[in-house]
Amino acid sequence: MTTVRLMATSVAQGAVAGLAGGLAFGAAMIELGMLASVAALAQADSLLVGFLVHTAIAAGIGAGFGLLICYHRPTTGETLYWGLIYGVLWWFLGPLTLMPLWGAGELTWSIEAAQGALPSLFGHLGYGIVTALAFVLIRHEAPQQTIPGIRGPVIRGGLAGLIAVWISGSALTAQGKLGSLSAGLLVDALGSAWPLVLLIGLMGGIGYARLHAQPREGGGVGTVRGALFGFVLWGLVTLTLVPVLGGDGLAWTLADARAAFPALIGYLVFGALLGLLHHWLTGLTRFFLANDVPDPHEEGLGTSALRAFGRGGWAGLWGGLLFTVVMWQTGVLPDVAGLVGSLSRVTGFVVHLVIAILIGASYGVLFRGRSYDRGSALGWGMSYGVVWWMLGALTLMPIFLGSTPDWSAERAAQLASSLVGHLAYGAALGLTFYAREARHNPWWMPRSEVEARRVQFRKQQVLTSAPALWTLMIILALVLPILLSEAAIRP
Amino acid sequence: MTKRGIRDRTVAGLAGLISGLVYAASMGAQSTNAPAFGLLGVELAGVGGVVHVLLSPLSGFGFAALVRYTPSGHAASISAGILYGLLLWILGPLTLGSLWQGTLPEWSISTASSAFPSLVGHLIFGALTGLGFTLLAALHRWGLPRRHEADEADPVQTRVVVLGGGFGGVGVAQRLSQRFARDPSVEVTLVSASNHLLFTPMLAEVASSSLEAQHVSVPIRAAAPRAVVRHAEAEAIDTAAGEVRIRSTDHGPEERLSYDHLVLALGAVPKYFNMADVERQAFSLKTLSDAVALRRHMIATLEMADTEPDAAERDRLLRVVVAGGGFAGAETVAELFDLAHSVLRYYPRIDPDDLHFVLVHAGERILPELSETLADDALKTLRGRGIDVRLHRRVSGANPTSVHLNDGTELASRTLVWSAGNRPNPLLRHVNAERDDAGAVVCDESLRVQGTSNVWAVGDCAQIPDPAHPGEACPPTAQHAARQAVTAADNVAATLQGRDERMKPYAYQSKGMIVVLGHHTAVAEVGNVRFSGLLAWLFWRAVYLAKLPGLEKKLRVFVDWTLDLFFPRDIVLADTTRSTRQAATPSAATSEGSRAEESGSTSGEHGAALEDPP
Repeated sequence: MTTVRLMATSVAQGAVAGLAGGLAFGAAMIELGMLASVAALAQADSLLVGFLVHTAIAAGIGAGFGLLICYHRPTTGETLYWGLIYGVLWWFLGPLTLMPLWGAGELTWSIEAAQGALPSLFGHLGYGIVTALAFVLIRHEAPQQTIPGIRGPVIRGGLAGLIAVWISGSALTAQGKLGSLSAGLLVDALGSAWPLVLLIGLMGGIGYARLHAQPREGGGVGTVRGALFGFVLWGLVTLTLVPVLGGDGLAWTLADARAAFPALIGYLVFGALLGLLHHWLTGLTRFFLANDVPDPHEEGLGTSALRAFGRGGWAGLWGGLLFTVVMWQTGVLPDVAGLVGSLSRVTGFVVHLVIAILIGASYGVLFRGRSYDRGSALGWGMSYGVVWWMLGALTLMPIFLGSTPDWSAERAAQLASSLVGHLAYGAALGLTFYAREARHNPWWMPRSEVEARRVQFRKQQVLTSAPALWTLMIILALVLPILLSEAAIRP
Repeated sequence: MTKRGIRDRTVAGLAGLISGLVYAASMGAQSTNAPAFGLLGVELAGVGGVVHVLLSPLSGFGFAALVRYTPSGHAASISAGILYGLLLWILGPLTLGSLWQGTLPEWSISTASSAFPSLVGHLIFGALTGLGFTLLAALHRWGLPRRHEADEADPVQTRVVVLGGGFGGVGVAQRLSQRFARDPSVEVTLVSASNHLLFTPMLAEVASSSLEAQHVSVPIRAAAPRAVVRHAEAEAIDTAAGEVRIRSTDHGPEERLSYDHLVLALGAVPKYFNMADVERQAFSLKTLSDAVALRRHMIATLEMADTEPDAAERDRLLRVVVAGGGFAGAETVAELFDLAHSVLRYYPRIDPDDLHFVLVHAGERILPELSETLADDALKTLRGRGIDVRLHRRVSGANPTSVHLNDGTELASRTLVWSAGNRPNPLLRHVNAERDDAGAVVCDESLRVQGTSNVWAVGDCAQIPDPAHPGEACPPTAQHAARQAVTAADNVAATLQGRDERMKPYAYQSKGMIVVLGHHTAVAEVGNVRFSGLLAWLFWRAVYLAKLPGLEKKLRVFVDWTLDLFFPRDIVLADTTRSTRQAATPSAATSEGSRAEESGSTSGEHGAALEDPP
């Protein structure tokens, strides 16, 4: 197919998919009473006009989606995340920028405006998901990999989901907020939130395993992707399905989202663990059961993983040093020293560096061979930083200091400086690790034609959802605490 | 910078500028009266607006430094753009912004939320920059496809050829190929007759059956993954034409490799002082196959001697003569002694008293590299074990059944190991440059061969001024070869980049010497500290295990050593040739030329070449 033909087809397919997304979004808008503002764009009062305008815009934006990802692998698991980030981008471009500009001739990027447009953010996310799914359905290309049977995903995904939800749920139980995972549904009837939570974990795990049946992309990618899968579940289960089933309508407002913040962290942690566990379980299954030829890119686990471990530790040291700047400035080093029962800044510094090196080493093992340029190195590193902000600062740190974790929006907002520190850590970690990796063996300079074909898969990572994954992760981490915490509103 | 790099930066700068203007315009359209902030938190009013417009192409350049243009990767580019915008937001309004206002940044949620408008601005700026970058680059590619392809055809412009696969050669190839890994115009070729880098200090233990042969060597291809490895013999060097001639197999076609820079790391070969009979009869210990052959011969003679009815023949079979009492000789005789004695239980008819080990040394004391007290210690240890050390003697001739010494003694023996002299690789005679008496090329302190501009040399084949002892040449040890390789590679790189000011002289001082004398005994001299016995032996093992390249081989050797503590040495002969007489007669058919390459720079830390001529 020629380029022009491919693009034209993709635009048409994207427009149809966008129409589907628009219908779903439109239904939500009717429910939320948001159509009037769209109708106002066409200087009309009629809700019908509003709906038509809305679907027309949705189709147009969908066409853009088709054009953007026309070269990408049309699998559900990949396209889903592109749809999500596309929706987020249009939330910034649409309700926050173009719509007010079109309507009032001026725009507001203020936090109040953004908080007011929060329901629309969820609408845009839903639009992105539906558009992506519809696009995949319409395109309907023969899958390149064999479709997995039902049994494997059910067993591996279900097992990973149960373990992950048990860990995440236990952390929420300690805060007395387990019910938030299932939005309080049936807690009274069943006597405990656990049955429903476990069911959600089981179903989520199976769903994840169906979407990403053959994860060959490293445990790190699985962790980040899983966390975002958890985010989708949060929106779907806590904010949408459960309230609607309970007869309360969509829970997309600022107050709803704020109340559901602990569940958000719960789902993110659940998803991250799910992605990692599923990756490991699949790897184990493959190791014992599949008749695979060894991967020619790997020098053997001993060589490659140990090398990555060392490099990661080294990169973690540099990340930790950068993080120290933030910690010194915000005066939290004594808290870190508390991990070993001390109050001194120097002890805190040493403990912090040791942790930084260990986490860096784990980054090396999980993300080895994933970065294909500095941008992707930043992306993976910072995403990993976000994961550890949730796991470390929000969860493990309080546990090790003898209290319970607090996953509220307020606590997350208080830890904003720590988030910046984790992002800086991740950025330095990713870049340093990539530099070490690239110095040893710059794969994009293949030594022969044969190798050039071999490394093609790595180049084609830009066509996977990897860029969407890390960017979504960072946007969520930066934007949601600002929007959802009360402390953020200026007096 | 490559053309591609210039293109990427130009289009990214342009995309950044456009996005910056969009950003400034949208800030101008803001409804609130609060001050509008542009890129990195500069205020847009007045001069700030100009700064913002100047910053935007710069930010575009920064984006190009992060992201490589990939055709059809536009979604990825936008995504990376958003990420970049958010990074700029953290760096700018949250960090530099407060510093600019004279307060230290605190990254609190209140600063973050008051900078929220600028977050949206940065995010959209990033997305637009990413989109613009990929569109403009695609446009450029679409407009100039032919020229682009022409740029990428046959990129190699400079060829560096390294001869020799020892510590020196592999070290140079490793470092150079890594330094130019991202520059396709430089190609580093390593020519080596062996496809492995041999860790020579452990060679004697291979001969004595306590280490596996493959465990003390690393594949060159794994050690220097970015170099072009040619498993071939170098046959001639033509410095005038700038080429070397190599041959992959014995009867294969000769190939010519032209070079812009040549690094000689050919090492040394055994020197027999024109004694053809000795050369024919003696085992040398320079390569892995030497060690394997010696081990095989040792075990085969024991197998024969066990049932040999003739007393004279038994005597010949059970006497081992080692010529040369330097590091290699002393270690070898001790290791062979250990081998024979530790497997005797399998040969019930051999009386331990019938085994004779003779070390013949020309000098006044063995191990001349060590201080006198330590050398005396070593001598006492060896003699205490029952090894017959003969000083002031030289091997003057040999035949299949006996070894002659220069005092007229005839030692009945079928085993002669030669480590009494080395000389630089004879291939160097082709090099049109100054050479010393032994035949080594003379280098200046930057390791360039004197009288040439593009020939360099490291290791045992070169005479290099010793930084520790002015006026003397570096001893031919692996310690020196490995460090010389780094210096030579850096200096070649500096020359290739036209930055002669970055050339550096060779400056490394030997850390010390350790020689292991068989079972749980060694003598060591580190700096001014001298010690011997079990402690030195443990120290030897720790140091050399750490020096052994590659974790995998470290683990394997460690396991070998550990098992060796609990189990007897292996006497399995993989090569089942039954003609034992031949086994007792080493085939010394290997000519100088073919040996030359293989040995590389291998005298190792044994310092075998230091010995006096017999």
